[in-house]
Amino acid sequence: MSSSTPWNANPVIQEVTFKSKTRQSAAEKRRATIASWFSLESSDDDEGDIAEDPIDEEEIFDLIRSINDPEHPHTLESLMVVSQKQIRLKGNLLEVEFTPTVPHCGMATIIGLCIRVRLLRSLPERFKVDIIIKKGTHQSENAVNKQLNDKERVAAALENPNLLEVIEQCLSSADA
Amino acid sequence: MDPGTDSDSKNLPCRIYPVAVLEGHSDRVWNVAWNPVQHLIASCSADKTVRMWSYSHSPNADYPSGDEPTPCVFTPATEIATGHRKTVRTIAWSPSGKNLATASFDSTVSVWERVPGDENGEELGEWECLSTLEGHENECKSVAYSSDGNLIASCSRDKSVWIWEVQPDADFECLSVLMEHTQDVKCVAWHPQEELLASASYDDNILLYVDDPQDDWFAFTTLSGHTSTVWSLAFSPCGSMLASASDDRTIRIWQRYPKPPVVGANQLVRVGKGSTAAEGEWKAAFTITNAHERSIYSVTWGKTPPGHSSIGASENDRGWIASTGGDGHIKVWNISVDGDRNVSHRLVADVADAHGLVDVNCVSWSPLEPGILASAGDDQKARVWHITRNSETN
Repeated sequence: MSSSTPWNANPVIQEVTFKSKTRQSAAEKRRATIASWFSLESSDDDEGDIAEDPIDEEEIFDLIRSINDPEHPHTLESLMVVSQKQIRLKGNLLEVEFTPTVPHCGMATIIGLCIRVRLLRSLPERFKVDIIIKKGTHQSENAVNKQLNDKERVAAALENPNLLEVIEQCLSSADA
Repeated sequence: MDPGTDSDSKNLPCRIYPVAVLEGHSDRVWNVAWNPVQHLIASCSADKTVRMWSYSHSPNADYPSGDEPTPCVFTPATEIATGHRKTVRTIAWSPSGKNLATASFDSTVSVWERVPGDENGEELGEWECLSTLEGHENECKSVAYSSDGNLIASCSRDKSVWIWEVQPDADFECLSVLMEHTQDVKCVAWHPQEELLASASYDDNILLYVDDPQDDWFAFTTLSGHTSTVWSLAFSPCGSMLASASDDRTIRIWQRYPKPPVVGANQLVRVGKGSTAAEGEWKAAFTITNAHERSIYSVTWGKTPPGHSSIGASENDRGWIASTGGDGHIKVWNISVDGDRNVSHRLVADVADAHGLVDVNCVSWSPLEPGILASAGDDQKARVWHITRNSETN
């Protein structure tokens, strides 16, 4: 899929933070400290702890922050399309809000699909995910939201090889 | 949590007991359909296949106290590698039970028949594709046979509903292409007795169609009210009501009220020999709000099993509706209508996590076995349930 004129020729780019790695080592330190306090056997329990560690907004953000924008060689995080603040998690209900870079962005549906596929492949199946455009930031937000949250439309879209290829390209950096 | 356990519904008059788990599909199961004549059930899946199971009544008539009996025992019968290039989304049996139609995301509908297995025609052989109905521009979402088996309706994301005539020699003639929806059409359903068709759409509307014998099929009513995509339709067994299920988390009941017949392009429309398909006015009768906590993908309407009481007088009873969707619940509602056409409903049974933690895509009442319901889910399985008296409240 080629676009000779990008929807947004001059995207605003922000610096990416590397919180995820610091948080990972902090979590490991925390587990090790607790294990030593209670004299727990660390070998098996560590894996159990990691499996049961509840998924939170930051982990979900880590899953989607490095998805590539379909048009520019930048991630959704650096283009400020996704942010941790726009992820709302309540039990198994997850709402991910994203902000297209411009109100007429024709890539909004693809970006939403990339987020959905990334989460579909990474999250346990218990999550019910709603993906919506931040209110007031896109001229067709209702129409795009309706498509992104129609599971039959999403399933059929993913059986379209051309569309799937575009999505895989955007996800390739996120999967690395 | 084991599928089928529920902690909230112990006070309801009935319970939903698991009967069988039908495994084999390698991707989500979208739809399930009971053969109307034979002891056979079919399912279809994103794995592009159709699977069938046959069942027999359980010989065990002694029910240990407190245990639910297993009314039916299921065994795998066939797997059809349909040749569809994409997901098989919906299947529909002909009223004779001899043919099966499959609707696929590859934009085609295929019609299948079982070939005679031997020269005497006694042993039945493999399922063979009789014909492929082409014409839709993109994904087919639903297919259905009319009550007399003479017509097939199909619908698609191309916004159209096609009506085909079933002819001898595996010929299918397209009678009409109806372009009255403004968006993706999700479901088509035929009236149980008359040649009246309903369609449900992503445009939030339901349309009803009849045939003008001197002209063409046309939509004579729009049923508006849902505030989001309408996923599924089911006529009541008596034919005077229609249930619809939507992404807006409501189930709506529409009813036919007496009114002069429909005026078509060539004045009064009489369908068939004095048929009343176009008579009466269909209007909203009742809304079950917050029926589910997520999108409702499927609704099915069957008769109240013998021995079960109804809300009011027994002559007001109009059967049981089952519904399901993204919240993983299967719910059963008793519907009744009084002499003044007031509709009332009561929740009679509810099971949570019917297919574990994933969506349930379809529910369907068995036409032959009272109180038996099949469901299809994203856990790659079809399941069979028995809805019967809750031993703890009755």
